[in-house]
Amino acid sequence: MSTGIERHETEEALAELIGDRLLERDDHLNAPGFVIRPDDVQSVLADLREEAGFDMLSCVTGQAYDDRYETIYHLKRYADPTREASVVVPTATDEPVSETAEPIYRAADWGERECYDLVGIEYEGHPDHRRILLPETWQGHPLSPDYDQDKPQIVTLSEHANPIQPDHRESDTMFLNIGPHHPATHGVLHVKTVLDGETVVDLDPDIGYLHRCEEQMCQQGTYRHQIMPYPDRWDYVSSGLLNEWAYARAAEDLADIEVPEYAQVIRTMGAELCRIASHMLALGTFALDVYGEFTALFQYTFRDREIVQDILEDLTGQRLMFNYFRLGGVAWDLPEPREEFFENVRDFLDELPAKVVEYNDMVTSNEIFQVRCVDTGVLEPEVAKSYGVTGPVARGSGVDYDLRRDDPYGYYENLEWNVVTEDGMDNYSRVLVRMQEVEESAKIIEQCVDLLEEWPEDDREIQANVPRTLKPDAGAETYRSVEAAKGELGIYIRSDGTDTPARFKIRSPCFHNLSALAEMAEGEYIPDLVASLGSLDIVLGEVDR
Amino acid sequence: MTGVAPLQSGETYLLPERIADLTGLGEFGVLGELVAAFVGAFIVGSLMLAMTGVAGPWAKRKITAAFTDRIAVNHLGPAGIFIIVADSVRLLSKENIIPEDADRPAYDLAPIVIAASALLGFAVIPMGSGIHLADPEVGLAYVFAIAGIASIGLIMAGYASGNKYSMLGGLRAVAQNIAYEIPLVVTGMSVVIFAGSLQMSTIVEAQAEPLVTVAGLSIPAWYAIVNPFAFVLFLVANFAEVGRNPFDMPEAPAELVAGYQTEYSSVYFVLVYLGEFLHIFLGGAIITTIFLGGPAGPGPAELGIVWFLVKIWGVFLLTQWLRSAIPRVRIDQLIEIGWKGMLVLAFANLVLTAVIVALIDAPGL
Repeated sequence: MSTGIERHETEEALAELIGDRLLERDDHLNAPGFVIRPDDVQSVLADLREEAGFDMLSCVTGQAYDDRYETIYHLKRYADPTREASVVVPTATDEPVSETAEPIYRAADWGERECYDLVGIEYEGHPDHRRILLPETWQGHPLSPDYDQDKPQIVTLSEHANPIQPDHRESDTMFLNIGPHHPATHGVLHVKTVLDGETVVDLDPDIGYLHRCEEQMCQQGTYRHQIMPYPDRWDYVSSGLLNEWAYARAAEDLADIEVPEYAQVIRTMGAELCRIASHMLALGTFALDVYGEFTALFQYTFRDREIVQDILEDLTGQRLMFNYFRLGGVAWDLPEPREEFFENVRDFLDELPAKVVEYNDMVTSNEIFQVRCVDTGVLEPEVAKSYGVTGPVARGSGVDYDLRRDDPYGYYENLEWNVVTEDGMDNYSRVLVRMQEVEESAKIIEQCVDLLEEWPEDDREIQANVPRTLKPDAGAETYRSVEAAKGELGIYIRSDGTDTPARFKIRSPCFHNLSALAEMAEGEYIPDLVASLGSLDIVLGEVDR
Repeated sequence: MTGVAPLQSGETYLLPERIADLTGLGEFGVLGELVAAFVGAFIVGSLMLAMTGVAGPWAKRKITAAFTDRIAVNHLGPAGIFIIVADSVRLLSKENIIPEDADRPAYDLAPIVIAASALLGFAVIPMGSGIHLADPEVGLAYVFAIAGIASIGLIMAGYASGNKYSMLGGLRAVAQNIAYEIPLVVTGMSVVIFAGSLQMSTIVEAQAEPLVTVAGLSIPAWYAIVNPFAFVLFLVANFAEVGRNPFDMPEAPAELVAGYQTEYSSVYFVLVYLGEFLHIFLGGAIITTIFLGGPAGPGPAELGIVWFLVKIWGVFLLTQWLRSAIPRVRIDQLIEIGWKGMLVLAFANLVLTAVIVALIDAPGL
């Protein structure tokens, strides 16, 4: 297999593999782009997956031009995410129908549903061709050119399937709505489940309750200043800086901006602080799902997360919506007096190991916890890859994939740290991965603090010189991702030469991770479903965007 | 154990008799005794309800907060104690929402059954300081039987609410109660073998003897000390019986929203909640009586009620501690532990106790 993949390392070899199915090239800044016919989707993607080793469908982007619709399949390799390829499928405006990629990549299931929902491209052969974010009765597709924003959307109850209507069908199973208001759904998620006794036979996550048109809002903002506040609102549980970095990376790539090294170190430190805060919250809320509502663990994790929050507040001036990154750097330097700030961070890092020991005593070494979590919610690595699962969830399934190492950005490649993986594939492994990642993040922060302390005073450049109005070249397209707390957070931007993006697409890690829930929970009991959902650590703000 | 002579029924000076004697009601014959019995029941009931009323809104908050690094209520009165008043007003003035699909009157009766079954159990508990309502010869059997009625209340609540979560919670409650009621009763039986009687006063009295005297300190023959194995078994089975962590299956908020009590609001909710707390305290009272020497403790016998309350609060503290620190098991694991583990251990304990007691009592030893 590896020799086969080697053969297809170059763009020419890939073009050759696609052969006469290749209509033309439409290269993106991050990857070669191959334009193909709408009825060749499955055969081309199957070849790229089998022959060229592109085992990850990172993202499906749908967009409308004046003269055509376009679906872009952003492909990557789990073994080496810097080897990317984009498959571009244009379809006619009057009949936007394209072949589905769902049989090749399970990730295309939800991805194509979203394109259908928001842009209006239809996918022939899709097994579940429904809207995903908007209500089923919605009229029109908001991101298509002929969408009438002023038309009122009246959704009558009679048109809507009433989920609480009495069901008099005779059957051995029971239909149960878990959510949208349920203690275990971590937000407004609605999981339609079919139960046989307490065993989950079938489940279908229904998302979109928190859809806030983030992509369109970003399309209306200027690159330079107006977009950066939005990423904080995707994954809003303290991973703000990680999200901001996703936009910063994509936009800096698009406009070719170099970030000063000093700013990169500050960014790295801030991002890892956010990761610790986010993982603490993940551990605490997982405890709520497995322990019950009056658990000490939730309070303990919040106690420790609070220290991180205080540090982040010192750094950015905010506790939730940081808005600290700028294109080309960060908003301002470390807070004065610097010594006090460094001392706070060091105090936190010094106390962290003892706290990790405490967590291990309370959680991972608890026998009841092990009985509950080991071998439940099993996600096989091949299944995980097919769904495009990333982050701690993938690493808990033994998929050694971390963009900080595999597709380096910021200052990560100059620092000493490890990527944590566990082979258990179960809820327990995912908890272990997060707890160990907290320790790894602490290592990174410590090295950043060392660097920042020693940094010469006259060389503290926090922002590159970026023009006030940023207008990337017309037609430039890029898709860049970073390792956010929940996994790969990617941004696709297409520029049309103005100061606002023509298309802004967010690849949410939670969206892809959640799509694998059915694989984990079907055939298990309700408590395991709840634990699996908790171990995915989703934030609905990011799932629905 | 040979030193314990079985006591005859009626030897204990019960609360109603005491009241009758004090007030002179005894002179009015059966009617007077009846009135005295009502007065006694009223006193015991009020005592337990007041304690639960305090435990519910305030002590539980404070205890859980202490376990979880918080402060909890502290604004109303000293240490927030007047939150009890605020809570009463709040809970009683809420709208009582009854679901359209509720199956009445089962829906309305369930909270009463849950609360009343626990309250009735206190009738045979000797609380010390002369507070003991009734002392039938089958006291222990009675208290198990009456506490078991709560299961019916749970399934009534679960079924009659017309809610799938309630239904699942009710089913879980019944499966759990059946699985753990048997080990509970069988372990209780081992105490009966020791004491040679089902009568509560006899069981308490049997534990009053000193077991051994070490350096001038006499250790009483409490059955928790005589047979710690049975004590632990009983404690675990009791947690399952009252549905507390790690066995809080019937509610399991993260899974079943609130289980059988999902659809209850206002006064009904208060009753369900009160019932739950009463059951925790009744469990504590049973444990105290049959394992911890009842109201026995240092100092004069008049302090009995104090020691009794200290002990049942100790059991309550333990339930709250477990709730803060231990994950809940899954329903299938719970049933498995019950039938495959607890039941076997309970019978092993019973047989072992019987053999040991028989050997000790055997002539010539």
